Amino acid sequence: MADKLAFRPRTIRFSIASSVERRYRTTAVLFVLPALVLLLAITIYPLIRTLSLTVMAQELTVSPDAEYVGLQNFQKVLADGRFWNAMQNTSFLVVVGVAIQLVAGTGLALLLSEIGRSRSVWVSLFLIPVMIAPVVAGFQFRVILNDSFGPLNYLIKWVSGGLISPPAWLADPKTALFSIMLTDLWQWTPFMLLIVLAGLQSISVELLEAAEVDGASYWQTFWRIKIPILLPVIIIGILIRLMDTFKTFDLVYLLTGGGPGSSTETIAYYTYLNGFKFFSMGYTAAMAFVQLVVIILVSRAFLAIQNRQQKVG
Amino acid sequence: MLTSSRRVSLTAILLVVILVTTSFGTLLAQGEAPKVLNVVKFELCPKFDNVTVNVVGDAGHNLKPYQFWADDFAKMGIKVNVIEVPFEGVYEKEKTEFVAGTGAFDVVTFYPSYIGDFAGNGYLLPLDDYIKREPAAVWDPHQDDVLPPFRELYNKFGGKTYALTIDGDIHIFIYRKDLFENKDEQAAYKAKYGADLKPPETWDDYLKVGAFFTRKKGDKLAGETLTDDFFGSAEFAKRGFSYAWFMDRAASAGVNYFDENMKPTINSKEAVAALQNMVDSLKNAPPDVLGYGYDELRDAFIKGKVAMVVQWSDVPKKAADPNDSKIVGKVSVGRLPGTKVGDTVVHRSMMPVGRVVAVAADSKVPDAAYCVAKHVAYNRSLEQVSTSLTGLDPYRQIHLEHPEAYAPLMGEDNAKAYLAGLKLALPDGYPDIFIPGAAQYQDSLDLHVNKALAGQETPQAALDAVAKEWDAITDKQGRDKQVKLWQQALASYKALGLMK
Repeated sequence: MADKLAFRPRTIRFSIASSVERRYRTTAVLFVLPALVLLLAITIYPLIRTLSLTVMAQELTVSPDAEYVGLQNFQKVLADGRFWNAMQNTSFLVVVGVAIQLVAGTGLALLLSEIGRSRSVWVSLFLIPVMIAPVVAGFQFRVILNDSFGPLNYLIKWVSGGLISPPAWLADPKTALFSIMLTDLWQWTPFMLLIVLAGLQSISVELLEAAEVDGASYWQTFWRIKIPILLPVIIIGILIRLMDTFKTFDLVYLLTGGGPGSSTETIAYYTYLNGFKFFSMGYTAAMAFVQLVVIILVSRAFLAIQNRQQKVG
Repeated sequence: MLTSSRRVSLTAILLVVILVTTSFGTLLAQGEAPKVLNVVKFELCPKFDNVTVNVVGDAGHNLKPYQFWADDFAKMGIKVNVIEVPFEGVYEKEKTEFVAGTGAFDVVTFYPSYIGDFAGNGYLLPLDDYIKREPAAVWDPHQDDVLPPFRELYNKFGGKTYALTIDGDIHIFIYRKDLFENKDEQAAYKAKYGADLKPPETWDDYLKVGAFFTRKKGDKLAGETLTDDFFGSAEFAKRGFSYAWFMDRAASAGVNYFDENMKPTINSKEAVAALQNMVDSLKNAPPDVLGYGYDELRDAFIKGKVAMVVQWSDVPKKAADPNDSKIVGKVSVGRLPGTKVGDTVVHRSMMPVGRVVAVAADSKVPDAAYCVAKHVAYNRSLEQVSTSLTGLDPYRQIHLEHPEAYAPLMGEDNAKAYLAGLKLALPDGYPDIFIPGAAQYQDSLDLHVNKALAGQETPQAALDAVAKEWDAITDKQGRDKQVKLWQQALASYKALGLMK
């Protein structure tokens, strides 16, 4: 094309080049357009629509009409004790649950990285929980944790010779939230394992060998070499699990219904009740936006840490 | 590389395998059906032109009638497509479709406390014209035979009939008659309490009898050594319907939801005492009772773990089924315990849940949908309520007059005793909240009852919180409108004798 253009006057060459570029651009836009329309339809439009609902009062059990109420919905959310209780329960799942997943996942990844040939078999086995639908995992743990016929309490009594009286995991307010966390841990720790293992395998072997030659111990290598290199990857893993755990709904719905009392009512479950049981659409939208702001702030904090880490590196 | 003849053979084998497994799967899925009794007289609707009717309902045994009567529907030229939704999710699943106007359902099964919301918002077709259509043998579901509370409360809104009852839920008291009739246990109870051992007359007696029968593994019960812990009673203490077990107690003490001007009266001292009684009863219950929903509470009783329960009236049918129950022939039913008010012991039985079927206002096949609804609500209703294959409970006079329908399941004597127990309980019926916003009022009461049971709130604090939240809900729904609807509801409750 450039050769053909070389023999034409400059203005004509410019005109032909622009026309070709325009055609390329149009083709590119046409290819991207379906995805863009889909994105607008299922993400941007609902987001804008929900934002508009946050300043409206709409009780669908009464009437489909919506009334402008300004920031009243946000004021009600912030004054709602049940909302804060749900946030507290969710924070427990997020902070404690993700921390345990990180430690356990990293530990398992370190172990697996030492294994040679059979590593892929072990990784496949560890990944089975991740491949199971959360609903199935929920039902499974509903049986496992059952006080009367669940295997967990049976094992505890058998191993302790009947000396230990295990709790009614899902029916005790002190253990119910932990039981939900346990189900989540079982299913998603392998995800963290996979993230960290991939990071470990990208570390240069020469670097580790050089450290060994210099007399670094295992733990020195771990803290001074592996962790700093893995940090960006770990941060991404934490962020993903954080956002997922924040949305915990299915396990609560299946295992406890938010009970006993309100001990396992998470923010996602409470939002669901307001939206799909009470049909208070404006209030639900306001609650959803408060959660969105929380998630954005936390994500920004983690990404800032990652950026700082990369600059130092 | 396969030759073409081998490819053809393999394809043929594969097709046969798929056909056989699908048919086998279909056969398995059909399962057994109750024996046709020919007691209820009816005629099928004239044949439609192979229409599909979409039926939605809570998943499980209560949707089995649509399998049982598949042949009947086929004779009417109707193909029934059943859509299952979770038990706790009926309201939100159906309301979402109604609000979105998807037309996804033709026949909707729902709990009758939602009738104000669904009928009031125009989601349902009035059925009065269908009921009056001729010939009556085809179209008339004989509503006069439906027991008044299940007809007036469950089926009507604004003076019109919008739904037909298929499940007449009411709480009854179910107990192990073998334990109460055991001579050793009677002597021990008399020695301990100075009174005769009998099904508890009051909720205070319920605590005493419950404590009496709560024993540890290795103790004796009715002359036998226990191989596991045994408990005097159990409750539905899981989030969802625990409020109904509280209201059994509170209603018998004279507690009402609201006064005539919709001021909540749910936090009166009688109500607090009732909630305290329920909290105290957990001492006599299995340690995981806070996780007991319908299934767990039923199984705790029919697996022989508990001496007495308050449950829905289908549980004695399950207790009589040797495939599931370890206490066949050992069960009796009676009136719920009551509360002494003055010189009288007042008994009340909550009527939570229940099920009705209605035709969606936007159904494209309303005539066929009505035929399906009427078939399960009237034509085959006796077969459905007398079998252990469903959890559907009697709601018509005709259901109470034919013990022979229940005899194959529980024996003739037990069948008569079961129906006699139901007849005792039915006049004690106490209604759920039926006005718009019912789901919100119920959720608030259930949450705080559950918090009291879990020890997160005292009974007084719990019920005070309910009263405050109920006021807020009433304001959100529109106070003037709610007061008017509540006053209409109160009038109908009083006319039916459900509230004094």
